[in-house]
Amino acid sequence: MNFDLSDDQRDAAAGAREFFTGSVPLSAARAALEGEGPPAPGRKALADIGFLGITVPESAGGAGGSVLDLAVVAEQAGAVLAGPSLVTAARAAVLLEGAPDLAAQLADGSAAIAVLDGPVTGSAPSLDAADATLFLGLDGGALVVGEGEVTPGRPMDATRGLASVRMTSRRVLAEDAGELWARARQVGAVVMAAEDLGAADRAVLVGVDYAQQRQAFGRVIGSYQAVKHMLVDAWVGVDQLRSLVWWAAWAADSSPAELPLAAAAAKAYAAEVAERATETVVQVHGGIGFTWEHDAHLYWRRAKVDRLLLGDAAEHLDAVARLAVAGALG
Amino acid sequence: MDFDDTPEEASFRAHVRSVLEEHASELLHVAPGEPVDARSREAELRDTQRVLAEAGLVGVTWPREYGGQGGTLVQQAIVGQELGRARVPTLINHIGIGMCGPTVIAHGSDDQRSRYLARLLRADDVWCQLFSEPGSGSDLAALRTSAVRDGEDWVVNGQKVWTTLAHVADFGILLTRTDPSRPKHAGLTMFVVDMHAPGVTVRPLRQMSGGADFNEVFFDDVRIPDSERLGEPGEGWRVALTTLMNERVAIGGAGSDIGPSPESLTAHARDRLPALSPEQQVLARQAVGRALVASLATRYTGYRRFTTLSQGGVPGPEASAGKLGGTAAARLVTDAGVRLLGDEAVLGATADGDDTWQRAQAYVPGIAIAGGTDQVLRNILGERVLGLPPEPRTDKSAPFSSGGRR
Ligand SMILES: Cc1cc2nc3c(=O)[nH]c(=O)nc-3n(C[C@H](O)[C@H](O)[C@H](O)COP(=O)(O)OP(=O)(O)OC[C@H]3O[C@@H](n4cnc5c(N)ncnc54)[C@H](O)[C@@H]3O)c2cc1C
Repeated sequence: MNFDLSDDQRDAAAGAREFFTGSVPLSAARAALEGEGPPAPGRKALADIGFLGITVPESAGGAGGSVLDLAVVAEQAGAVLAGPSLVTAARAAVLLEGAPDLAAQLADGSAAIAVLDGPVTGSAPSLDAADATLFLGLDGGALVVGEGEVTPGRPMDATRGLASVRMTSRRVLAEDAGELWARARQVGAVVMAAEDLGAADRAVLVGVDYAQQRQAFGRVIGSYQAVKHMLVDAWVGVDQLRSLVWWAAWAADSSPAELPLAAAAAKAYAAEVAERATETVVQVHGGIGFTWEHDAHLYWRRAKVDRLLLGDAAEHLDAVARLAVAGALG
Repeated sequence: MDFDDTPEEASFRAHVRSVLEEHASELLHVAPGEPVDARSREAELRDTQRVLAEAGLVGVTWPREYGGQGGTLVQQAIVGQELGRARVPTLINHIGIGMCGPTVIAHGSDDQRSRYLARLLRADDVWCQLFSEPGSGSDLAALRTSAVRDGEDWVVNGQKVWTTLAHVADFGILLTRTDPSRPKHAGLTMFVVDMHAPGVTVRPLRQMSGGADFNEVFFDDVRIPDSERLGEPGEGWRVALTTLMNERVAIGGAGSDIGPSPESLTAHARDRLPALSPEQQVLARQAVGRALVASLATRYTGYRRFTTLSQGGVPGPEASAGKLGGTAAARLVTDAGVRLLGDEAVLGATADGDDTWQRAQAYVPGIAIAGGTDQVLRNILGERVLGLPPEPRTDKSAPFSSGGRR
């Protein structure tokens, strides 16, 4: 058994960390929230460094990498609340398997693509749709691509680019695309869990850091068990989530039969872990944690939004149980 | 990344499997999750361990000179997995193998090692760990059982409690206070005690799960020869730390399930879901899903640790996270298992007499206490992994006899 990243993947993670911390100030997430600019680093920067094409085949101008390669980068993206989401890139890359020209445009950033959930005649709030110009949707079992009319809402987390879309033109890319669609959604769920892992991990670190500085009643607050144990529970969750994310990403690449269960498990657990970690970081900071100026709420927003995107925990827990009972666990 | 054995691991696993098949008729086998009463099945359990020891499957990581196999932690874990697969119950001498033996190896004299270790591996002697007392569990160094030097012997008086397997044990490692005038951690000394010696009384304690795996042990003027001392007088805390470190590794293990396995919950759900009302099914599936996710998260985290070990890493304080995660998962798994029984759950057993899930549920609270409570493990993780300040201590430097006050 070798349940660990390869040296290349570790290097990729380190490179991604450097890129994201250098190009995504957290102030960008707050500015986006106040309607003062798009999420950072933006589609172009992500395309230029090659992150939008990690799982796009080399023949279509991508890196031909694995979902696990993408997940380790997505974790770093999540740590700084980067946008647009690598979930969109991962999901679109699966859907565009049979359309290399569009996949190439996804990878080089020349098309601003979003994937729509719900009916294409009026979609559910969909990730990265706010500034997209080309939409992929499932229409009566067929995979379609086209343009659309975008209605952004008032975002809880502006880094997610959420908007509802009514498609105004539709070209069929594949008939009978139900299974392809499902797999793309599962891969998307894995990558979202990876982003949540990064966000939750960072939240715990920020909380630990503060708990080591702040004094109350003559002692550093991290020496109080009410604070210490809360942070430990959040950390244990993050550590365990990392295992599920790696397993699910590995399944996407190497064990398709395990993917539906592994993806649902990772997504459900990510929702819970990210919520606990980000609520913890707000609480550990006390009053400061509840201010607009402090970064804590930016992480909290991400968790509150992500837990509902691509299916909530109830949906995924149910899927885990059904799949396991049907024999997916042996 | 892969979940396959390396060629060496695969051939070792194949070897273990063939040994287990070859000796199948001589080994005790039980249903998954079935508790085994050491009292009523002592002889079978001892025989099973002896057969496994003779086949080289006990003490895998122990040095060869003490009867072990000189193997790796990974090989140890593979043996554990295969014993589980073959439904061989936990070895009767698991405390001896996991905690007492390694302590004798690290701190015992040559004479003690040659007298005890090989017999321990074969379950010729079963061992127990006599640390906790009514007034000192988490705060172990507060213990009061005294050992007073008298010529070539030490005379021991006091009481231990929650001693797992004391009722079948032949020997125990016993932590005593030999110098109350020194601070609490400094005046302790460790011994090997003969559980059949005059003055040792073992009284079973019934647990909330109904079984009686642990005991009270009383020492009334029990004489222990000085040659049975483990380590120097006053060095008992250092010796005990060896035991406790090994305990964390033995319990926080690499990927083995602490409670019933996710697969056993799945099989149970397959049987029981159809009998529930639609409303109950929805709730039961949520509970099953949540429990599976928690136990898979713990299992795969164990696999990550396992990989670190196989690459030559050493077990660190993260082992405590394995136990915390495993305990939480065990709670969710047994809760879901019981919920699947529907209304029948309130009776001690189902109509066909099966009480596996009810008993498993009643065992979980003990898991969250034994070998370090959830709170104590959180303290360890908070301090040693997250680097948060240690718990305040007011009792560390004053003489024990002053009650921790200067
Ligand atoms: C099934 C089982 C088997 C066992 N087998 C053995 C054995 O073989 N040999 C042996 O020596 N012992 C054994 N024990 C004893 C076990 O090690 C102790 O029960 C355990 O260490 C807790 O000690 P205690 O029971 O005295 O509880 P206490 O230490 O009195 O704890 C009571 C409560 O206070 C909390 N607490 C205590 N200190 C702190 C702290 N610093 N911070 C936060 N919370 C704290 C605890 O978490 C707990 O909730 C066994 C126990 C069980 C349940």
